[in-house]
Amino acid sequence: MATYTCAYCRQPSEGATTTCPHCGAPVDVRARVSDSGWEEQPAIPDMARIQFGRSTCQIEGAYVPVADMGLSADDWVYFSHHVLLWTEPSVRMDTMPLAGGWNRMYAGMPLVMMRAAGPGHIALSHDDPGETVAVPLAPGQAVDVREHRFLVATGAVEYQWLDAGVWYATQNGDDTEYHYPLGRFVDRFHAPSAPGLLLLHAPGNVFIRDLQQGQTICVQPSALLYKDPTVGMQLHLEYPGGAMRWGRYMTASLWLRMWGPGRVAVHSVFERPEPVGGNITYNSPVTSKSW
Amino acid sequence: MERIQCQWCKAQNPPEAKTCETCGAPLDARNLVTDSGWREAPRLRDMTEFAFGSSSCQVEGEIVPVAEMNLGDGDSVFFEHHIMLWKDEHVPLSSINTGGGMKRMLGGMPFVVTAAHGPGRIAFSRDATGEVVVLPLHPSMELDVRGHSFLVASHSISYSFVQIKGLANVLHGGEGMYMDRFVTQDQPGLLLLHGYGNVFERTLGDGERILVEPGGFLYKDSSVAMNVAQQNIKTGLLRHGMYLAEMVGPGRVGIQSMYVHHHT
Repeated sequence: MATYTCAYCRQPSEGATTTCPHCGAPVDVRARVSDSGWEEQPAIPDMARIQFGRSTCQIEGAYVPVADMGLSADDWVYFSHHVLLWTEPSVRMDTMPLAGGWNRMYAGMPLVMMRAAGPGHIALSHDDPGETVAVPLAPGQAVDVREHRFLVATGAVEYQWLDAGVWYATQNGDDTEYHYPLGRFVDRFHAPSAPGLLLLHAPGNVFIRDLQQGQTICVQPSALLYKDPTVGMQLHLEYPGGAMRWGRYMTASLWLRMWGPGRVAVHSVFERPEPVGGNITYNSPVTSKSW
Repeated sequence: MERIQCQWCKAQNPPEAKTCETCGAPLDARNLVTDSGWREAPRLRDMTEFAFGSSSCQVEGEIVPVAEMNLGDGDSVFFEHHIMLWKDEHVPLSSINTGGGMKRMLGGMPFVVTAAHGPGRIAFSRDATGEVVVLPLHPSMELDVRGHSFLVASHSISYSFVQIKGLANVLHGGEGMYMDRFVTQDQPGLLLLHGYGNVFERTLGDGERILVEPGGFLYKDSSVAMNVAQQNIKTGLLRHGMYLAEMVGPGRVGIQSMYVHHHT
């Protein structure tokens, strides 16, 4: 009988182990919530096991964790080929083509996913120090993930990719340059009919919060890890006040403005944002604020 | 007298020791072994100290650890020059030609290693998050290490390199086609590596096979054969198949979790 609901993945379990069987989060730690409302996602303890189908995933290491999948003969997972660390020869691998090849290649996204079927072990890891985040998906549940953060998903999870819808163009002489602070695409993972498991890799530490209906937050675009599809987002420009302002021809701070309801997760290592000058010629829907 | 055997390097230690006197591994911590049989390299405690010859080594820091050597008179260590962090002014340096200069240069490998001679202190670190892996080598051992992962070795170890036949650049993240080989003759030696991310070791039985992403390979006993295994999988338009390194036992294989990805 389920007596415990994990504070991070919100899935019920018996609470008989020291870590959540669905996402690996420790069950015996107090929630760490900042004064501003961000909850720190506890790192999955070294060697913790997560159950999915008849298979398990063991998270190994602390700096750059490895997801070691022990696949049963009935289960399969998919992932981008560059995260493969090692595999037993018994694991069967093939490719899962994705639609929109040219657009994906143009956006620097992998053209194919690799599929690995049991029985046997296969291990995956990213190449940044950080945390592995397990997002179990209940039937009907979906989550939107920033590109290049995906590590591996189980066969019950469907994968789509959507235009991120956050961009702007700048003019420099005769050249028009397009900028995608969030990346051109967002990965959407959806478990249509059966529970699935999604693993992400986040550089640095991970913090999550629940936005209420209409509640807003501005985050660095490259710090976004995932969000519920119900959370809206758009470009937001802020022009600082003070003596050094020359109308709109000054450097703006670029944000990703998000509004609830739903979950938002960010990671603490992000790319340095490009300075945004006054030469924006086109952009996706934007809000702005001059201080 | 009762002694404690280190589970990492197998050295004997006095019963009151908390860390191994030969490799610094904690003696009072459990081995962490995955369900699939990989053992995590021991996480050295900050400021752990261990001895070799008439010298000692202290490992400092945990995110990008520093190996600080206190060299005794007559002892020396060798290393790639760019990993020196600091040294006492009076510690003399010399250079050792590895041979194969042009080939090594083309392979992106240094063709000169630097030696530091005691007495005095000198410290080393690499430039990324990871772990210092301490590998005491018994006499008559041979260990192969991926290029640019070697941190420092004691003077009793002889250093050479081996060409990875037939594998060209595919096995080292595109960086080179050489592996460093460390050999002890009749004296033991100490070898320190820097593993990017976390480090895991597995001992393969005779004929046992495992497929490893080439960029994740860190070290192996020379008894382990390494072959290229082309997978019949296209990873993109106009790209050839994916290559993995097939490791065949018997012997130890070490991997790192933050690997250099080869561009296929």
